[in-house]
Parts: sequence; structure tokens; C-alpha cells
Amino acid sequence: MRKIIPIFFLIPIFALSQSTSFDFHTPENVKKFADHLFCEGDYLRAIEQYELINQNLDNDTIEFKVMLGYSELGLYSKSNELIESCNYESVFYPDCYLLSLKNELILEKHEFEYPSIPSFDSSQWKSFGRLFAISMLYSDEPVVSKEEFFLIFEKDEQSAVSLLYDYRFEPPYKSPALAGILSAIIPGSGKMYAGEWGDGITALVVTSLFAFLAYDNFHADHTTRAWIFTGLGAFFYAGNIYGSVASAQIFNARIDFEFNNGLELFLKQQNYFLPQYDFCE
Amino acid sequence: MISLKSLLSILILLSSTMHCQTEILKWRKADFSYEKQIHSSKRDYSFDSENAGEFLTKSLTNAYWFIISDVDGDNCPFRPTCSAFLLQSAKETNIFQASLMFFDRFTRDMNIAKGHDHYPRVSAGYYYDPPQNYTLNQGRIKYLPTAFIVDDE
Repeated sequence: MRKIIPIFFLIPIFALSQSTSFDFHTPENVKKFADHLFCEGDYLRAIEQYELINQNLDNDTIEFKVMLGYSELGLYSKSNELIESCNYESVFYPDCYLLSLKNELILEKHEFEYPSIPSFDSSQWKSFGRLFAISMLYSDEPVVSKEEFFLIFEKDEQSAVSLLYDYRFEPPYKSPALAGILSAIIPGSGKMYAGEWGDGITALVVTSLFAFLAYDNFHADHTTRAWIFTGLGAFFYAGNIYGSVASAQIFNARIDFEFNNGLELFLKQQNYFLPQYDFCE
Repeated sequence: MISLKSLLSILILLSSTMHCQTEILKWRKADFSYEKQIHSSKRDYSFDSENAGEFLTKSLTNAYWFIISDVDGDNCPFRPTCSAFLLQSAKETNIFQASLMFFDRFTRDMNIAKGHDHYPRVSAGYYYDPPQNYTLNQGRIKYLPTAFIVDDE
């Protein structure tokens, strides 16, 4: 009897644990799971689940979340392909539109050419204005003054925006020609001008050393050695002038890289598009 | 008389002791090499040159590799190494420009404070410094930040 009672209780537990009476794969349950994944930041799997049910549930929230998920994953062109499926009547359409502009800005890196604008509320207008202002950073000349440019941004964003504005319109480029001329006058000074202090000092020391050795050997009538040192010194001298020009060019390439990278990072970090929809509450 | 229970226990114990030392290889001293691998075996000594400048740099480089570098070991902190840099520069530009690029590289190599926050690195830890950045063609410069790790050499 003592054995029968535990067995009597255990059998139903095993039977129920494998029960198929609960269907995990209904669209509603898949959506719940996908919502959970989305809130956990697992966008790839969330999109996979949303795409399973999107045929069964005509849901504009899902469409927007898939679009947002792709954008968060860095698949901007894939995200922008979905703007077509966004319903113009949907409450999410302005957000889809803003997101597509953001994606386009990251992808294409060019100024917006007065896009056709859907009906925005005040916060969406603000987001659009900021995106539009950021797109101006890709124009060749500043469209508005720096002070006007700042007005649309929050105070905590202004230092980053100021840096980006300066890097774009007043970039601290170094002149390759000047770097070459400086190194021709004082070996290594062109490198120092391009920010390469260690290389500049090394170039100065090496060139001076060979110049001294050449001079000293000519002075002591060791002509062969003197000419060898002269040749080596001349190559180090000319190589340094060449290298100074190259260093200034690399410095300028770094400025461009920092601008593009900084702007992309700024766009990714500023989430202007979901202030009123907290999907994960 | 031994009971069936004891017999089974003895059999299990015996079989476990029989098997524990059968894999002799497992207990043998491992042949592990602590030698630092150098890239000399990968070096291409062929004189496959398209012009006199390339042929001259290839001859100089081959001589340097054979007489000095292969004996001295893999000491250049850069990738491509300074000799490979000269060869690639001669391929990309001309003998004169390649010489200037080489002397500039050599000066940078002599800088004792190089690299700490300057060059990206290849996965093996060497400084990555390709000749494409020094051809004076702004469009060919591919700037990589210091923290960047380049996958292949």
C-alpha cells in the first residue's frame, strides 16, 4: 500500500508534463515569446518569431518592431525595405518613416533633399528636425550657423554635436605641403607638426647623426666612408620629407574617419523614435 | 563458495583496473615544441619581377633574408616587415618612391616610443602598417584606429 500511493501520485505528474493539451505555437503565444525576445534585445530571434506569425496577424506594431529590430542589428538596408509594408494609415507610420530616414542617413551619408513628410506630432517633428539637422553635416558648406544648428538639440547632446560640426566644417586638418616644407627646413619637424612627435625626434636624431658622420669623415679625409654616410643621410632626409607629407595625409584621413564614425555612433545612440511607445513595460 | 554477488563485484573491479592503463599513449610524454615559429618558410625567394626596379629590390631583399634575417629571426615589430614593405612599395609605386617609403618606415621603426597608441595590430600582436597608406594617394589611405585588430597578416 505504501508503494502504491507514491506510484499513484507520480504517474499523473509524468503524464501531465508531456501533455500536448497546451499549444505553444498559436500566433498569440509565438507573439508573446517574440515580445519577450525583443525586450531582451535578442532582435534576430524575435524577428524570426514575428515573421512566423506576421501572415496570420495583421499587426502594424509587429511590422514596426521588425523594422526597428533590423535597424538595431545594423541591417539598415533590410530595415528600409520594410517601409513599403508600413501602412500609411497606421499610428506607427511616422515612426517607420523617421526610422527609415535614420537608416538612410547611416547608409548613404548624404544630405536629405526635402523629403515628403507625413503628419507628425510635436515630438516627431523634433526628431525629424534633428535628423534633418544631422543630415546637413553631410553637405559641403554649412547651411546654417553653428548657433542656429545647436538650437534643435538638447543640452546634453550639444557638446557631441559641436564636435561633429567642427570636424565637418572646420576640420583640424594638417597641410601635407607645410609638413613637407617644415621637414625640409628642420628634419622631423613636419612629423611633429602632424602629431608624430616620436617619429619626428627620431628623424631629427638620425639625420643629424649621419650629417655629423659625413662631415667628420670628410674632415678626416676618409672620403669613401664620408660618401656612404652622405648617401645614407640624404636618403633619411628625403625619406623624412616624404614621410611627413604622408603623415599629414594620414592625420587628415583620421579626422575624416573620426567624423564619420562619430556621426554614425551618435545616430545609433540617440533613440529619438520611441519616446511614447514602451514595448517592454 | 563465492556468492554470485561477490563474483560480480570482483569482475567489475578487475575490468576497471585492466582498462585504466591500457591507453599507454595517453600517459606518454607529450612531444610539444616550444620553438617560436618564424615566417621564413613562407618567404618567396623567386625573382618574379615586372621591371628593373622590382628586380633590384627583390635581389636586395632576398640577399637580406638569406644572409641576415633567416639567421637573426623574426624581429621586425611591423607587418608587413620592413623588407616586405620595400618589396610591396616597389610593386605599388617605383624604385625611387619605394626607397623613400622604406627610409621613412625605417625611421619609424627606430622610434623607441612607437606604437603604444598609434598603429592597429595584426592578431599576432605586430603593428599593422601597410604601404598603401604611404603612396601619397589620399584615396588609398585606409585609416584604422589603434584598438583595431587586423585579421590576417
